[in-house]
Amino acid sequence: MPFQWMPSRRKFLETAATLSSLSSLSAQTPSYSGQVPRRPLGKTGAQVSILGVGGYHLGSAETLDEAKRIVAMALDAGINFFDCAWDYHKGRSEEWLGAALAGKRDQAFLMTKVCTHGRDKNVAMRMLEESLRRLRTDHLDLWQIHEVIYDNDPDLIFTPNGAAEALVQAKKEGKVRFVGFTGHKDPAIHLKMLSHDFAFDTVQMPLNCMDASFRSFEEQVLPEVNRRGMAALGMKSMGGSGEMVRAGAVTAAEALSYAMSLPVAVTISGMESVGVLNQNLETARGFKPLPATAMAQLRERCRLDAADGRWELFKTTKKYDGDEGRLQHGFPDATELPA
Amino acid sequence: MPQSQSSSIPMRQFGKHEDRISALGFGGHHLGDAEDENTAIRLVHEAVDGGVTFFDNCWEYHRGKSEEWMGKALKGLRPKVFLMTKVCTHGRDRDLAARMLEESLRRLQTDHLDLWQIHGVSFDNDPDLFIRPNGAAEALRQAKQQGKVRFVGFTGHKDPGIHLKMLATGFPFDAVQMPLNAFDAQFRSFEKQVLPELNRRGIAALGMKPLQGHGDSILKGALTAEDALRYAMSLPVATTITGMEKPEILRQNLKIAQGFQPLNPAEMDRVRQSVREYSADGRFEMYKLSLKFDNPEARLAHGFPLDEEQAEVKEMMRATENTGKPYPELKK
Repeated sequence: MPFQWMPSRRKFLETAATLSSLSSLSAQTPSYSGQVPRRPLGKTGAQVSILGVGGYHLGSAETLDEAKRIVAMALDAGINFFDCAWDYHKGRSEEWLGAALAGKRDQAFLMTKVCTHGRDKNVAMRMLEESLRRLRTDHLDLWQIHEVIYDNDPDLIFTPNGAAEALVQAKKEGKVRFVGFTGHKDPAIHLKMLSHDFAFDTVQMPLNCMDASFRSFEEQVLPEVNRRGMAALGMKSMGGSGEMVRAGAVTAAEALSYAMSLPVAVTISGMESVGVLNQNLETARGFKPLPATAMAQLRERCRLDAADGRWELFKTTKKYDGDEGRLQHGFPDATELPA
Repeated sequence: MPQSQSSSIPMRQFGKHEDRISALGFGGHHLGDAEDENTAIRLVHEAVDGGVTFFDNCWEYHRGKSEEWMGKALKGLRPKVFLMTKVCTHGRDRDLAARMLEESLRRLQTDHLDLWQIHGVSFDNDPDLFIRPNGAAEALRQAKQQGKVRFVGFTGHKDPGIHLKMLATGFPFDAVQMPLNAFDAQFRSFEKQVLPELNRRGIAALGMKPLQGHGDSILKGALTAEDALRYAMSLPVATTITGMEKPEILRQNLKIAQGFQPLNPAEMDRVRQSVREYSADGRFEMYKLSLKFDNPEARLAHGFPLDEEQAEVKEMMRATENTGKPYPELKK
């Protein structure tokens, strides 16, 4: 990703102040102490922390040591959900996460994603072996199909010998406990995936206070996922790289609070430094969902700015579309077509 | 569409009006890509001689160069052509639109346009911004009343849903422009979703991007330029606008357009089938999927980040080097 978001101390202070005023609308006052709460992961029986550590940004940490510190501190705070993907930083994210979880694997609910982008089951199974090796484990808790963002991805995934068959096989072989898919582009593509009636355990999607008013996963996909008893995993709570926070539209705490207040199991957030982790923990420790009135107020405040998708670039531009998928779909890579 | 049978370019009816326009239209953006002003002027003259009457342009193409060159080229020929240009408010207000119109008329060396269209309706909230009080819709009405433009319309390349939302504003458009090609027929399709609605309402349909904007699909061998243009021109449209920045491209297109007979349904189906595998993910229709084809002015007006590596942005930056301002100052 071309730029990273590094919040300043001042931003954090503003954030905390705004959150208190937002919450004072109700009798609730968020607790700033305690552990990060957990929620059931759909009907799987697993419990996951409401805040998850995003694997892309973990690979953006300055050093492996910093990545290890982030993971250790997250575990101490009660976070057990760790996200990753086969193609993040060409494998570095998985390698660093594997190193950071060495000896702590049993404390984590470990997810990674497979990047077939239309290729067949065998490619998926080879990627799985590589992911397991990098992550230093013999099984994943959750294995998801990555970046279902092209209109024909669902067709390619469910073609005979496609990636959907790899999910079934990996589960049967005990290499993965649960399976799902993820994508950041268009609710219609998610619904097309669901229309195949495959037994996904989880579905990951962008959920934030802007999404609520623009090509909305919250409106179109989230209710359907919950209706089917699948676990909803939220991501891009601040726009992917904190765009909406840097633009001053919302504070980091507002954005994260909104996302975590939705009916999701976990909100996955990129935290490439201990500082960002700590800021998110301030919101997530002892988190109580915002009341409906505060949610409505925040949506309304964002509505006009949200209307053209300027802060959800993952929906409106190519910026967040990985090179692996672009290559398979015959699109220019990120250097040729950056946005 | 009723058309004449001869070796000249067929003339088709402009929506429900009596005007007839050439089935091949001359794209204004590519005119600004011509080698130099003299080449541009020769291209326009040769097009007029070859039977092209429909000329497309836009206030923001090449920072005005496209309009200026076309204005010079059409000197003395203005009554022979149907002249269109577009206004680039991108959600901004009616006064800005009116100032852009004056500038366009001056550059095009004319006192009226045959067609004035809202440019680049590409963002989901553009229809709301267009129709709001003091929005660009009021400028279209006013310009028509003042006799500065005969007809009005809008154009966009992003999403059939946005076009339908524009139509749902109830504004009386005379023309609507959209990408129409064999790829579009199978991906977020204007041909399927918008074109029938225009025909039903008697609004002139103007096709563009018969070669998907930059002809990538032809360079990569997915289909031939001839099949691509024939497909687009065979649809129920008033004209197909295409860019012709070189004499050889103009001549190739004139050859296809002169005495043009629409493909029959089986031939249309053959062309669609030949590109089917490339259509499903939109790889050759990136104007629907990325900001690549959204002009820097549009992105700025909507608060989108500018990617300084893109050719269109570099061009804009170069043109504003002296002021240091990314957005052009309008001359009042």
